[in-house]
Amino acid sequence: MKTQDFIESGILESYLLGIATEEEQHVVNQMILTHSEVSEYIMRFEKNLQRYFLQNAVPPPTDVREILLLRTNKTDIRKKEKDTYYDIPKDNTKKKEEYLEIEVNDTYIKVHRWWRPAFVAVFVLSKIFLIAGLYYYFKASSQEKEIEKLKTEIVVPRN
Amino acid sequence: MNELERVNDNSNHQPVTKTSGPLTTLEVYDQYGAMAYGIILQIVPQPHLAQEILVNVFSSPLLQSCNSYPFTFAVCVIKLARAKAVEAKKQMMAIAPSHKDNNVSSAENTPELIFDLAFRQGYSPDEIAEKLQISRSEVLKAFHEFFKSFPNA
Repeated sequence: MKTQDFIESGILESYLLGIATEEEQHVVNQMILTHSEVSEYIMRFEKNLQRYFLQNAVPPPTDVREILLLRTNKTDIRKKEKDTYYDIPKDNTKKKEEYLEIEVNDTYIKVHRWWRPAFVAVFVLSKIFLIAGLYYYFKASSQEKEIEKLKTEIVVPRN
Repeated sequence: MNELERVNDNSNHQPVTKTSGPLTTLEVYDQYGAMAYGIILQIVPQPHLAQEILVNVFSSPLLQSCNSYPFTFAVCVIKLARAKAVEAKKQMMAIAPSHKDNNVSSAENTPELIFDLAFRQGYSPDEIAEKLQISRSEVLKAFHEFFKSFPNA
C-alpha cells in the first residue's frame, strides 16, 4: 500500500481515536517509524483533532475540580518529549540537555570504592608493624639488660 | 518546546500556565478538563454522570500511562475520556437497552454518521460495517473523510 493510500485509508484516524485493532496499531507503529509522511500527518492530525474537540469543550462545574483535588495526591505527570515518534530524528540536540550542569562547592572529594579496603589494609598493617616494632624494641632492651647483668655477675666473682 | 507547549501553540483556547517540568493531575485537568467534559457529554448527555466520568478520567491511573504514550497529552486525554464514557454508556445500555440506533439504513452512510456510531455510540468498525452493510475499510475511510470535511478539523 502506498503511503498516501495508507494515510487516506482512515487507519491513522482510528488509531488516534483508540478504535484500531492491535494488528492495525502494529502496522501504524511500523509505518510511523519508516515513513516520515505518516508521522508528519499524525502530528498535523493530532493538532486538528485537539482543535476539533476544543470547539465542543464545555467548562465543567468548579465542584468537579474540588472532588478531583480530594481524590488525587497531586501526582506528578510528566510528558517526555523524547517519547514522541516524530521527535526521534530531532533528538540529537536534546541529549546534550539531559545533563544538568551542577557547580560543586564543598571540601569533599570523591574517590574510587577500592580506596576503602586499601586504606583499611594500610591501617591494619601499620598497627601490626607498630606492635611488632615495640615488641622487638622491648625484647632487645630486656636482652641488653640481661647481658649487662650477666657481665656484672661474671666480673664480681673474680674480685 | 515540550508537548504541552506545542499543542497549545496551535490552539489558543487555553493558555499554558506551566511551560516545563512535571505536571500534576490538576494541572492536566485545568488544561484539558473542559475538552474532556465536552467529549464525555457528547457520549453521555447526563451532566451528573458525565461529571462522575470526568473525575474518573482524571483520577485514573491510566492517566499516568500518557507519559509513555507516544503522542500528545491531548490525544491521550481524548482517548481516555472517550473510553471511560463509552464504558459507562455500555453499562447504562445493559441496564436499560435502547433500540434507537438499530434502524439505521445504508442510505445514511455519511462520514458523520459513521463517526458518530464509532466515537459517540461506541461501536467497533466491524459492528458498524455489519450494521450499515459496508466493508470495514469503508468504515475506516469514513473517519478520514469526516475529519477532511471539517475545515478546522
